[in-house]
Amino acid sequence: MVPYSQWFLAGAASLLAMVAVVVYVLALNRRLQQSKHELEKEIAERRRAEERLAEKENRLRLIIESEPECVKLQTIDGKLLEMNPAGLALVDAERPEEIVGSSVYRFIAPAYRSAYEALTKRVFQGESGVMEFQIISLKGHHRWLETHAVPLLGSSGETVALLGITRDITGRKRAEEEMRRHNTELAHVSRLTMMCEMASTLAHELNQPLSAISNYTRGCMRRIRSASSTREEILAAMELVCVQAERAGEIIRSIRAFVKKGESSRMPSQINAIVRDAVRFADPEARQHGVGIRLQLAEQLPPVLADAIQIEQVILNIVRNAIEAMDSMKFGKREIVIETALGECDALEVRVTDTGPGMSSVKFEEVFDPFVSTKPTGMGMGLTISRSIIEAHGGRLWATPNPGRGLTFRFKLPMTREVHDYAA
Amino acid sequence: MLPESTVFVVDDDEAMRNSLRWLIESVKLPVETYASSAEFLDAFEGMPGCLILDVRMPGMGGLDLQGKLREKSICLPIIFISGHGDIPMAVNAMKAGAIDFIEKPFNDQVLLDRIYYAIELCKRMRKTREAQFNIVANYRLLTSRECQVVEGGVAGKSNKVIAAELGVSWKTIEVHRANAMRKMQANSLSELVGMVLHLRAA
Repeated sequence: MVPYSQWFLAGAASLLAMVAVVVYVLALNRRLQQSKHELEKEIAERRRAEERLAEKENRLRLIIESEPECVKLQTIDGKLLEMNPAGLALVDAERPEEIVGSSVYRFIAPAYRSAYEALTKRVFQGESGVMEFQIISLKGHHRWLETHAVPLLGSSGETVALLGITRDITGRKRAEEEMRRHNTELAHVSRLTMMCEMASTLAHELNQPLSAISNYTRGCMRRIRSASSTREEILAAMELVCVQAERAGEIIRSIRAFVKKGESSRMPSQINAIVRDAVRFADPEARQHGVGIRLQLAEQLPPVLADAIQIEQVILNIVRNAIEAMDSMKFGKREIVIETALGECDALEVRVTDTGPGMSSVKFEEVFDPFVSTKPTGMGMGLTISRSIIEAHGGRLWATPNPGRGLTFRFKLPMTREVHDYAA
Repeated sequence: MLPESTVFVVDDDEAMRNSLRWLIESVKLPVETYASSAEFLDAFEGMPGCLILDVRMPGMGGLDLQGKLREKSICLPIIFISGHGDIPMAVNAMKAGAIDFIEKPFNDQVLLDRIYYAIELCKRMRKTREAQFNIVANYRLLTSRECQVVEGGVAGKSNKVIAAELGVSWKTIEVHRANAMRKMQANSLSELVGMVLHLRAA
């Protein structure tokens, strides 16, 4: 028989267990409730974050979309990933689908493709760069663009795309071109003026070979008539006639080349050759005024990218100014020394030194101003044009007084990478 | 025998020098060429002939050389050649005694004619100069009394007047005059007067 106390104990234990279960369930429920609440909160928070992100992205997109300059993403092989409306407008596309996914090289003008390719490669190596290039739009319009390209980095730091910000510089290029043409025109007019001024000297220079030809020929005729010379002697004289005819032709050719009109054409040129050409022109005038021209040309100078005729014009201008300056001198040596040298910063330097009376410091600054002339017949454009020619070549023209007497005009011309490549 | 007349050419242009030599030698005249005025002055030894001179040269120009020659009283007729129709320069050259101012390029016959003329002129000038030199030398031989008599004659005075002025006899004046004429190598009174006038002019 089971004792009553045992029943009681069993009953109490069951009750306890039940209470424990109920308490546990209640606690469980509460934790569940808590978790649910936390979950809901988290969800809400996440939603808010997502909303914020979306808003942020939206704002970013809006900025990019409304950005007046072209923003684009592209792959290493030139595939367009994205482009904003400003970019679409540059290439005359109406919708992104027209061009996204295709290659940027379909727009880039052939002459700039390899340079663009090189830039892209550099960007994917982590560098950034700037370049100017020309494109041909879907509608066939030619435009000048300037792009700043930077690498777009992924989460692990690798370059995932090229980010390019590009602007239309067609207007600027056109203005530059207009300016260049204007300068070329001005330089040409001033060359013609200079030639007019030098006409009598050049005529004299031409007269020398013509007179020599006349003398030789008349001499030959007399000797043939009087049979006083041998065949060989006559032939030798005829040979000299030819040399003089060629000399005359050379003078005319160089005048023609000098005054020729046309687009300025920059080519890799030897500065020493340009100096010699200029001196050949200036020499008769120098001799007339009792001025000696001495050359001190550095050997083996690299070529410069320059319009040889325009640089010759600058040298001629400076030399003629020097001759004129020394003309008023009653005493003293009249000499012009032209030096060429390899200057600092990859530049060639040309120095023209005279032994003239020099110039006061006030006039010094003025000589480069237009319409300032020390000559009664001068237009005062020579040095102004000279300076604009040198500056258009990326160089500099200036003057300094000599320690002794006279002035030195100097100009520097940069040697460009292109020229190095060309020379190599 | 007199030294042969030479054509001296001074021009800084080599082709001009050589072609002038060729042309002038074709008429068998001796030619010497110089590249500058200084070179010519160094080498010149007073030979007879003529000078063909370029006006415009570096250093000493043609007109400067003309001046230098005159300074040194070197008598050598000058034919200037020039490439310019430079009128003021031509005027100066001619004023300073140049024979001609020829513009390049020139006709050979014109140049050669001028050269012949210049050479003749040089010979004449040398003769006159020699004569003048003799007159000067002879005049120096006269005594002061003989000079007075000659001066009187030049002034157109008769022997009688001169005798009265000098307080000597007419006969004495006659002797002085005869001596003077002998010393001056004059054949007549008029020749003697001519010589003295020439002397004064020079």
